[in-house]
This record gives sequence, C-alpha cells and structure tokens, in this order.
Amino acid sequence: MSKSIYELVNQLPQKNLTVFSLRSLDKVLPGEWENLVGFENTIRQVTGESDAALIEQIGARAIQLYNDKSEGYQRAMWLYQTIDSTGRALGQAALASKVTENVPFLSIINRLTPKPEKAQTIDLCMKLVTEIVAFCKINGIPGDSVGDFVKALGDYSGESLVRMVALVCFDGLVPLGPNFIKQTETVLGNLTPKDLDSNPAFKAIKDAVPGGKTADQLTFIGASFESVKGWMGDFVESKGITPQSVVANLKTFVDVADDKMDYFGAFLDISTNYYEHTGVQTLARRLVERAVAEI
Amino acid sequence: MFRKVSIAIGALLLVGLLAVGGCQLTQLNASQPSDTTKWEQIEEQTPAVVVDKKAVIDGGKFNKFFPQASGYERVYTQEKDGFAEAKLKQDGNTLAMLSVSDTASNPNAIVKYQNSDRTLAGYPLAEVGSTATSLLVAERLQVKVLSRDTDFTPADREAWLEKFDLTGLAKLVN
Repeated sequence: MSKSIYELVNQLPQKNLTVFSLRSLDKVLPGEWENLVGFENTIRQVTGESDAALIEQIGARAIQLYNDKSEGYQRAMWLYQTIDSTGRALGQAALASKVTENVPFLSIINRLTPKPEKAQTIDLCMKLVTEIVAFCKINGIPGDSVGDFVKALGDYSGESLVRMVALVCFDGLVPLGPNFIKQTETVLGNLTPKDLDSNPAFKAIKDAVPGGKTADQLTFIGASFESVKGWMGDFVESKGITPQSVVANLKTFVDVADDKMDYFGAFLDISTNYYEHTGVQTLARRLVERAVAEI
Repeated sequence: MFRKVSIAIGALLLVGLLAVGGCQLTQLNASQPSDTTKWEQIEEQTPAVVVDKKAVIDGGKFNKFFPQASGYERVYTQEKDGFAEAKLKQDGNTLAMLSVSDTASNPNAIVKYQNSDRTLAGYPLAEVGSTATSLLVAERLQVKVLSRDTDFTPADREAWLEKFDLTGLAKLVN
C-alpha cells in the first residue's frame, strides 16, 4: 500500500537540496514559505488549535479522507510524485551518459548534460498541467461561476505559490533562459502528438491529462500554458527576476558559474523534488482544513 | 470533471493564477516528527469511510447559501462530495474559513450537538476548541465558521453563522 498521509508529512526533510533551493526563493517571495513538516505540527499550524484530543480527532478525519481513494487525494499525490520522479530519472540518465563519455568533472555541474530544449519545454508544460489537474483533484472546482474559480486559483499562497514560482525559475528561466515563455510557445506550436507520446514526462501522467486522445491532450496542454503565460511573464517582470538572479540566490549552497546555467537546470532536475515536497504540504493543508470543518 | 476543467482552461481562467497573496508566515523551527507510531494507532482505530456517496449532498449545492457582505471578500476554496468551503478575507487577510458539510459523510459530527444546550437562529450550536463555532441545520448539515485571525472572535463567528442562508440550506434536506 502507498504511504499514509501522516508518513508522507512526517518524512518531509527539514534540510536537503530541495529545501535549500526553495528557501532561495525567499528573496523573490519574502516570508511566503515555511517548510512545514510533521503531521501534528501541520494540524497545529493550520488550525491554530492546541488541544491534544482535538488534534487527534482532526488528524483521524484527515487520514480517513486521504485513505478514501474516491476522494481524489491519493491521485493528486501520485501526480506530484510522478512528475518529479520523471525529472529525476531523466536527469540521472543524462548524468550517466555523460559519465560514460569520460568527461572530466571538477564538480557535479560538469557531469551534467542539459536537457534538449524540446524535452525541457514539455517538462515545464507537464508540470503546469500536473498543477491544474492536482488542484482539481484536491479542491474540486470551487464556486458556482467562472469568477469564483479564477479567484480560487488566484488565491495561491504559501507552499502552492512557491511551487509555481520554482516552476518559473527552476524549470523555465534557468534551463531555457529569459525568453523561456516565447520559446515554449514556439516549441508547443510545432509539437506533434507523436513528439508528445515519446516524452517520458507526458507518458508518465498521460492517463491523468484531460482530453483522451493525444491530439486533444496536446490542445489542453497548449491552452494551459497559454492561460498562465501572462501571469508568468508579469511575475518575472514585476520581480525583476533573471536566470542570473535566480542562480545568485542559489549560490549560497551550490557554486555555479553564470555560463553554466543550462547545466544548473539539469542539476536541479536530478537533485530536487520540489513538486513532491510542496505537493505533500499542500495536500496536508487542504486535508486538515477540510477535516477540521467536518468533525 | 475534466470536461469542466478543459472548458475552464480554454477560457483562460488561469490568468489570475498565483497572484501574490499577502500571507505572512513566520519561519518555524519544526521539530523532527516522532509521532508516526501514534498516528498508526489512530489510523487503526479509525474506520474507513463507509458511506453511500450517492446519498451525500453534492458540495456544489451549498455554495449559493454562503454569506457575502460588502467590505469582505469571499473566496471559495474547496468543493467536494458533501463539503464546500470558502475563505473570508478583508484587505487581503484571511479572517475565517466558512464551511458547510453534510454529516451523512461523517455521522460522528452530530454527537456534539446532542450534548449542547445552546441554539442560534433556532439551530443547535456547538463550540469546539478555540477557533470553531458551528450549527446543525435540519439535523444534518453542519455550518461552521473557523477563526483564522486572532481578532475574529467567537461573537464574530456567531454573527457570520447567522449570515448564511440557513433556511435555504435546510430546504436541501427537507
């Protein structure tokens, strides 16, 4: 059986490369993210309650909801985990192939191969699609109107917001450069269903992507990117973020040269799982919010 | 649901995605969790959900009975079987969570009303912990307000409970 929700939350690391890389975004989003770990701790923080018996009651309901597969929470968890493990497998394959070519390495950066632009672009889009589908699995489609749904999506904060900003920075700006939005549009415009079917990230979550046939799924992916690109562009511009500034903030824990930006993207790809990490936090928060309201 | 999502996406609904919230979280030193064994025991003692999902009222039916007031923003956050929830915000701050749930999916929730002698708007009222006040409408629907700001008092919670269309909600059951 897959892990229970309390195991997932209790096992979240307090310090690793994923946590460091997410903390590096604090310069862009001051005070927005705390690395909330531990199931009981999460219940206390989210609800503001401290009574032990009440916390256990809330936790029990949250566990019950998570364990009920028809509620969709496990599917959302699977999506967050799967999209990250795909990236890591790809990155590690790239690393292995470089090593066999006997490339001398001074540091781990020199052992990495940047992902081809097309693959990186599809990865970016698949992570975006994962976010949209997981959002709906976790929260349903809140409200009665289009405006309500927009508000629900626009209410991203905490770990959900940092996940999206990490997507922009670590899967957009760093590996693809400052024109990543334009580049993604171009690649998407030329992408065929066959291209998509041969992409590991797409293959991994294909069953969960709305559409049915690959051609329809490609349309959905394109529409997803189209709808969020404005926000992405505005965010990058308003915060004045560049690939260099993202890397500068990361330099406190990894030494990387500015001309190795695309290598750094590959490094982040294999060494972090920020989607899964923050996905567990989002899921736990939403489950607790529902549990405390239902008990 | 996917069809609904597709339509939503096609309509460029994500434009507002990720508007930076004014959330001000302090950095916490989370202690290393060592409570997995405790939760394992709790899980073992917690029965799986045995509910006829078809008998549970769709959360979407609760939305229109949620309160609204000028000067406040209402942001729906969850809509699941038998459950709908919205944030009550003012000037970007979350004051409270407003929710309606069908106790058919969690019958234990009713017990606390049987032990309560308080009522509000004619419905049994229960106060749980330090943040929650709720009503049981038509002996089945739980309407709850949870404080998320220290200035949002139990009296505020009761005032907002009364702003729900409780009569409308009751009609969903009767």
